[in-house]
Amino acid sequence: MLRAILAKFQEEVVRRVPQASTRFFAIFFAGLAALLLALAWQPGAAAQIHSRSHASFSGHPPSTSILKAYGTPSAPIRLDVFSDYQCPSCGNFFENTMRPMINEYVAQGKVYIVHHDFPLQMHPYSGAAARWANAAAKIGEFQQVDAALFDNQAAWGATGDIAKYVLAAIGPADFKRVEAILKPCTSPPPTSHADGSMPQADPACPVDASIVQDVALGYQIPVRATPTYVISYKGQKFPPGSGAVSWDIMRQFFDSLLSQ
Amino acid sequence: MTRESKSSAARIFLLIGRLILAGIFLFAAYAKLKPQTTVPWSASSVKISLSMFALQVDSYQLLPVKLVSPVAHLLPPGELFLGLWLLTGIALRFSSLAASLLIGGFFSVVVRTYAMGLEINCGCFGPGERLGVGTIVRDASLLALALAVTIVAFWIRSRGEPSSSSALPAPQRAD
Repeated sequence: MLRAILAKFQEEVVRRVPQASTRFFAIFFAGLAALLLALAWQPGAAAQIHSRSHASFSGHPPSTSILKAYGTPSAPIRLDVFSDYQCPSCGNFFENTMRPMINEYVAQGKVYIVHHDFPLQMHPYSGAAARWANAAAKIGEFQQVDAALFDNQAAWGATGDIAKYVLAAIGPADFKRVEAILKPCTSPPPTSHADGSMPQADPACPVDASIVQDVALGYQIPVRATPTYVISYKGQKFPPGSGAVSWDIMRQFFDSLLSQ
Repeated sequence: MTRESKSSAARIFLLIGRLILAGIFLFAAYAKLKPQTTVPWSASSVKISLSMFALQVDSYQLLPVKLVSPVAHLLPPGELFLGLWLLTGIALRFSSLAASLLIGGFFSVVVRTYAMGLEINCGCFGPGERLGVGTIVRDASLLALALAVTIVAFWIRSRGEPSSSSALPAPQRAD
């Protein structure tokens, strides 16, 4: 059938081009060229995947990285989430997708979630929130603080008063330990930049290197918005997705992987 | 421009236009159905790819959750069918009209999503393509092409001539 179509095309062009308006073809092909330019403007999905897929998700974090995770690393599905604590979509994703995921598929050993910080420059307190979460992770209290930050996002997002929600989440004793970790952190916290430039870590701050490590990893994906997630199944990495998705739809995707 | 040359130009435009549209729909279907990792094609890989496409459909926050999966599973085969239909040139008025309606729907959804400020992947030609101004420009161009093909197809038909290029009249010989 393709041969017949091509033969017909050739016959028509050879027989009819001399009769057609030159002006018409000039206009048409100028428009076609504009269309092709517009199509070429969008970076191809394949180019993005092949050029960025070397982002390291080996399961063994680099030495400066602080592990912030839910579940067991041996789970067949791994979900890497790049998140900004002050981002409303990230809050939506945590509350409506990750919470049921944690209660069901993480608890059942099917999914391992790794949180990566990608604080956006536009959010004034997201870098500070990332520092609190990383400091809590250093004493094994990441999950409590992570949940508390998203649960109370609207409140601390308006005032910047993050400490009281961390205190409520982990109690006075552990709060003092977290405070002590953050005491040397006197300069502004690192955040991602729209131009892709690397943020500066405060060398005195014990958690900044981990945040910068997460941002650098995010640039490789590339993360252009939050939340962005990368799903891996038995070492096979899928293209990144972004935006909030419902748990029902994500569960269907996980089930399709697990049913192989 | 004589009537004959107008008709000839229109037919050539229809042929090129529908081949472009067919190619785009076939590529869109392929990009959504193909394995998204380095695994070979299989029924399982297609099922996974369609489930992954459902994630992108859901991220538009447009459809109720119950409709996301059916739409995601029907759209790529629908694009495949439409691409093949355009390729054959059969009933071109109707295939181009269907293409125009589908692309028009995509365009309006993309514009709405961009206006809402949602930073998501388009999902138009598989995962990984961020929805932005370029997406809108591209979809607008495709919509213009699809509408032009539809209009010309109906115009040709209104003159009592078949719009399909398989029924072209022979050129006039000068005696």
